[in-house]
Amino acid sequence: MLFASTIRSPFHRGRNAKVGIDALPKGYSAILAEDLPRHSLFPSFKDGIPIFASEQISYRGEALGLILGPDPGSCDELAATARVECEEEEPEQEWESFSSSQIAYHYSAEYGDLEKMFAASSTELKEVYRNGIFDHHYSEPMGALSFWDKETLSVHCATQWPDDLRRRLSGALSLSEADIVVHPTEMGRTLDGRLWYPTIVAAQAAAASKISGKPVRILYTREEDFLHTTKQARSAVSIRSGSDDQGRLLALDIVILINIGAYNPLAPELVYQAASAITGIYFCPAIRIEAYAIRSNTIPLGAMGSVGATHAFFAIEAHMNNLAQRYSKHPAEIKALNILKKGQSTFGAPGLSADIPLDRIHRELQLVSDYPRKYASYELVKKRDPGCREGIVRGIALTLGYQTGRSFSEQSTMNSYSVEATLDRELKLLIKTQAAIGSEALKTMWRKTAAEILSIQEEHIRFLLPENTHSLPSGPMTLSRGSTVIQHLIEKTCRSIQKKRFRESLPLSAKARTRAPKASSSPEGLYPGAQLLDSASWCGTAVEVEIDALTGRPIPLAVWMVIDAGRIISMQTALASLRASTLSALALCTANDFDPASAGIDDYLADFNLRMRDLPDIHIRFIDPDRNGAAKGIGELPFVTIPAAFYSALTQALGLDPRQLPLKGGEILRLLEGS
Amino acid sequence: MIIDVTVNGVPRHLKSRSGDRLVDMLRKELKLLSLSPDCLQGRCGKCLVFMDGRIVHSCLVPAFKARATTILTFEAIAKNPEVKDIEKAFQITQTQPCPFCRSAKIMAIFDLLSRIPLPGEEDILEALDMVSCPCSDPLGLIQAVKLAAELRNKRKFSREA
Repeated sequence: MLFASTIRSPFHRGRNAKVGIDALPKGYSAILAEDLPRHSLFPSFKDGIPIFASEQISYRGEALGLILGPDPGSCDELAATARVECEEEEPEQEWESFSSSQIAYHYSAEYGDLEKMFAASSTELKEVYRNGIFDHHYSEPMGALSFWDKETLSVHCATQWPDDLRRRLSGALSLSEADIVVHPTEMGRTLDGRLWYPTIVAAQAAAASKISGKPVRILYTREEDFLHTTKQARSAVSIRSGSDDQGRLLALDIVILINIGAYNPLAPELVYQAASAITGIYFCPAIRIEAYAIRSNTIPLGAMGSVGATHAFFAIEAHMNNLAQRYSKHPAEIKALNILKKGQSTFGAPGLSADIPLDRIHRELQLVSDYPRKYASYELVKKRDPGCREGIVRGIALTLGYQTGRSFSEQSTMNSYSVEATLDRELKLLIKTQAAIGSEALKTMWRKTAAEILSIQEEHIRFLLPENTHSLPSGPMTLSRGSTVIQHLIEKTCRSIQKKRFRESLPLSAKARTRAPKASSSPEGLYPGAQLLDSASWCGTAVEVEIDALTGRPIPLAVWMVIDAGRIISMQTALASLRASTLSALALCTANDFDPASAGIDDYLADFNLRMRDLPDIHIRFIDPDRNGAAKGIGELPFVTIPAAFYSALTQALGLDPRQLPLKGGEILRLLEGS
Repeated sequence: MIIDVTVNGVPRHLKSRSGDRLVDMLRKELKLLSLSPDCLQGRCGKCLVFMDGRIVHSCLVPAFKARATTILTFEAIAKNPEVKDIEKAFQITQTQPCPFCRSAKIMAIFDLLSRIPLPGEEDILEALDMVSCPCSDPLGLIQAVKLAAELRNKRKFSREA
């Protein structure tokens, strides 16, 4: 087997890269862009995303080639000594005031008479809210192993989307999809960090393996992974609102900027999700949204947990808190006044037919968290001691959010999932789905569901390995798809088998597939997201935070969540998943903001900041978990609600509004000193 | 250089380069893949080993420092009844650490229970803090440690009786 180390660009931006390599020792070789056919892996932006950059360098650290050899240490040393030259260009790092050439995707929509409603408003408020770049902190750095077995290419890679990986490899290496076998390896918790980037690493390993004729392994070091692979996109959301004398929203003029770094093939999805989320909680009769995915010459930036929705919820919730301050009202009061209810619509779509439980969630959350009393007492403390000189500084806030479990993308492959199940004569069930790369907790849930429907033992249910299920197309396995889409398909196939079971002889098979409605199929053509709210799971989260007087470090004291996610199949699994996600989401709020210009491995290590002994109390309540009906996703809920709640609690504790996340202890101390 | 060291009960003469860490040597020379070092700074805890009976981060130990010591990795303790108790506790509490940190978490709990048979909440938190991986439910982990201690004591007590 050959090991491979990546030759990386030292330039942020340039054209016509040339890589100079001294004579390599025996057994070592180099593979560069010129050794491969010109092909872009993803049709992203104008030039697409290449396997190795050559004509255009888009960010510092972009892969330009590989050094292959029998010893990984020597490969690293040789790759580090490669000389890179190019026609250097001025990098485009600015993204909040962008040029038209930086726009990767633009979505705009308008509903209602905005100017008329602004004219009728008694209060106007305009603020900008910023969200930083976060690392996914997945368990193992990126890597891939590729080898040829006669005419078949085998690729072992930790990817959330094996089906897409196979399709991309087929295009890049001019191979039939039938000749490629993708073996998805263990991933741990990825938080959407392995949606598409592993495809680039896998393509590099596969190309190297094809040229060298030997198995090739690429495995990034943690530092390499941290510095050069995809992170959560940063955003700046500007909200101008107009409201009546009671605080009811009349008009919203929103500009969402999502910085996607050098490129991201899922830019439209990020933009749609953000635009959907920002108008999905509160009712407003006139809305205008301009949402942009903006390129800059930094590492690729993209999804994290909830693909763009986090940015939007953070901004709208922070804005509602500001609005409450403007009216000298309780934030909960202002939110209750504006919460979206059944029959109301967002963006001119038909009135929401499902019961929107936000009102109930909001009320229950206030009760369980003792929010009104705590909020009032912390306000009182702050009024008496505005400089926070006398000791404990605390804040509490609550936010609302939802996850849809569906994609808005018009890319049909994003939304195609399929499951095939076969019940044999020994009453053993075999489930075939590429989604079987999901966690053990998910598989336990699926087993339980199938066993209940078919009245068979859970031990008699097994899943076919994903590499043997290529004939069944599959979209990406994100946090919510397993418990929503795949869960539904497994139920469907099992019910279909159960129906036939006593009429036909065993073995019996059933197949189910799904495809979400395309954006263009929306009757109004205005707002595709509104339809999907009918299948959403809803959540309210309260966070109580204390600021360490000495270091300024924010310490989460307690988290309360009230969730309506339909039927809960396994309460223990649901609680475990939510508690783990809650901790990850809290860790993000106190993490280091990744600065592409100066980041180092120490920044990665500094993010291990939420220790077991700092664990907050986590209280989770489900609304009617035993009801009949479909199960819905819950994995993303902490990611969409906690950053906003954490930020708002911090705002109350500080008595200041920094309008950005994350905030570190040092920055908080400076803000307190400044006040 | 050659390092003479006893690994999992077997005396070894292992090759090591200057600057190698103990974890590098154990993975490269003996293919002990339960060690999956990540941060190489003693934070992630995925490289825990017993060195002369003390639990250490093998990424922080220079390979030459292991000379004439006794090293135990997860591979050696995996069949130990104490480890079976921990695995059973994971199963009962439905706590499923990911494959990358599972062995390290078991090592940390194994060490805790061999030092303190009835650990308090503080002891448990301190032990679990040795491994930083966001994969599992923290409350589930605490429950699992308590249950593992219970199972271990029950088994030992009944055997002695």
